[in-house]
Amino acid sequence: MSPRGETRTEGPGDAFGRSISLPGRIRSLPALRLAALWEAFLVAAGSLRQNKLRTGLTLIGIIVGVTAVIAVVTIIKGLDQTVASTFSSQGSTVFTISKRPQVITSREDFIKFNKRKDVIREDAEAVFRACTACWRTGIAANSFEIAKHGDQKFEGVRLRAIMPAAMFDIDGVAIDIGRLWTESESAAARDICVVGPDIVTNLFPDLPLDRAIGQDIWTGGHKYTIIGVLQPLGKIFGASRDNVIYIPYANFEKNFGAHNSLVVFVQTETAPQLEQAEDQARAIMRSRRGKTFRDEDDGFALETQDVFLNLYTSATSNIYIVTIGVSAISLVVGGIVVMNIMLVSVTERTKEIGIRKAVGARRKDILTQFLIEAVTVTAIGGVLGVLSGFGVAWLIALLIGFPLLFSVWSAVLGVSMSSIVGVVSGLWPAWRAAKLDPIEALRSE
Amino acid sequence: MTETAVATSQTSSEVIGKPELPANGKADLLIVMSNLWKTYDMGAEKVHALHGVSFEVKRGDYLAITGPSGSGKSTLMNLIGCLDTPSQGEYWLNGKNVAEMDDDDLARIRNQEVGFVFQTFNLLARATALHNVELPLIYGGVPGAKRKEMAREALSAVDLTDRMMHRPNELSGGQRQRVAIARALVNHPSILLADEPTGALDTATSYDIMNLFERLHDDGNTIILVTHEHDIAARAHRIISIRDGLIEKDERIR
Repeated sequence: MSPRGETRTEGPGDAFGRSISLPGRIRSLPALRLAALWEAFLVAAGSLRQNKLRTGLTLIGIIVGVTAVIAVVTIIKGLDQTVASTFSSQGSTVFTISKRPQVITSREDFIKFNKRKDVIREDAEAVFRACTACWRTGIAANSFEIAKHGDQKFEGVRLRAIMPAAMFDIDGVAIDIGRLWTESESAAARDICVVGPDIVTNLFPDLPLDRAIGQDIWTGGHKYTIIGVLQPLGKIFGASRDNVIYIPYANFEKNFGAHNSLVVFVQTETAPQLEQAEDQARAIMRSRRGKTFRDEDDGFALETQDVFLNLYTSATSNIYIVTIGVSAISLVVGGIVVMNIMLVSVTERTKEIGIRKAVGARRKDILTQFLIEAVTVTAIGGVLGVLSGFGVAWLIALLIGFPLLFSVWSAVLGVSMSSIVGVVSGLWPAWRAAKLDPIEALRSE
Repeated sequence: MTETAVATSQTSSEVIGKPELPANGKADLLIVMSNLWKTYDMGAEKVHALHGVSFEVKRGDYLAITGPSGSGKSTLMNLIGCLDTPSQGEYWLNGKNVAEMDDDDLARIRNQEVGFVFQTFNLLARATALHNVELPLIYGGVPGAKRKEMAREALSAVDLTDRMMHRPNELSGGQRQRVAIARALVNHPSILLADEPTGALDTATSYDIMNLFERLHDDGNTIILVTHEHDIAARAHRIISIRDGLIEKDERIR
């Protein structure tokens, strides 16, 4: 060991008033931090490996918490997506004009809306003629019926009368087997229908879908011949959207009489035209209802499908917050487990802390070391928790039947949340370690 | 290393920001302690572990501090090693007044200026000899490759070239103490401070370790031994005897 000698023999003037042997001071700060961080990480990894049972228990605590949060968030996002795609199947180019809005929140409103004039075929025709921003217009009337074929009976079927055939398009449904009706068939009020696949599977359980074409079914006391089967739309919250029977509107008028109030569907060619079309249609309808600018009430409801989404969002957002909050409690419990174990770890390694301090570890070096240990275990727990959370969500999605969205966002959320738990719960034990007196620490066994 | 250290030595003292002892011709003085007190507050009564200790240590000296247990010997060692600060008095180590430093400054001084050798070795049990020796360099911010090189150099200086990758439990007591000495020397500190370095070793091994200290002293290291064993203290060049918190005797024997 001779370098010491070189440093010392620099002449009398250098000894005092100068610090000569301080290599650490001249190193760049980032290098210092990196080496100390890496050391801290190695120590953390070693200590976690050393105490397998303890590490395992801590991991379970964190995994359970993260799993709960990730599963809940993933399921909620899946449900949201299902609802959003269902209600926006008509796209953002469609609005409706009806007597009553789709959502009524009070009895007073209900009474008020019932006093309004019915929306009739002539209203639709007027909008179609005068609205320049509108592209396609159609009318629809709904009623709930029972469908029958022979002994087979299917309840809760939606009978939907539409005109013109473009309404299929506006509704966002497409033909799978057979054909749609022609304009002449529609005008002739023929007893024909296009059905959702559920109708066939329920009324003709032994028949393949394509053999359903030409079969007769009874609904609302009238007989209809199936000419087409629609592509399936699937379920929303377990309820099928494929139990529908489409018939021409003229036939509906002939068989069931004039429906008291219709829904007028208006579609624009592009989404940006929607607002202009809504304004024009509103003006046309208001003049038909004899409303002046002084009247606050339109006398009809003009709505896009957003109303459902807004209702859904406002109804569920609070439930979501509570659910996520409750599942986050398990993460807090995990944090307490981590804190407890870190405290034990600090006590066990008092001697080691003393040694490190004696050779020059500063408070922040020790603090970082224990924080890294806490964050390492919680981050690993976070990753495993995200995986098992996705797994749980996948299982539940499989049972309920909705599409699953594995988002990077929630994975990042899970890992960062658990890391934050690590920092928060590791902070106090790490601080205790950092401020240990080196003399006391060295003395401990 | 020497060139860089000298080139930046002007600014490095400003980093600490403490007043410095003027260069007054005592340039070869490494340690200046004047009227050092250490008082412990034991509830109602105050216990004076040291009352007014003053001495100086030259660069390259080989000093033994002896005294019975309870004499204040350990307290003095903690102060010299910058593990603790005095209640009163001044302590200049290598031109810096360490008496009023805060925890982090003390840690830096321990890292750069003091090399500890303990009775019970105090090695990290799970780390290899090489890693143990690297530890001060890690906290000193020495980059990886340079660190390994310096640690190997220090280990070969204590004749442990072939034991670098062994853990403490795979080494004999004497070998462990030599790892500890390598760790103490790796940062080229101003003083090598050994607290009962042979207390846990058998006679033959103790003899080897004391020979090693002698060699290190011959290489120019300043060594301070704290011991209650007279034959160990007799190996030093100067003996300071402590009793009841005061210097009882300060004699040069070589």
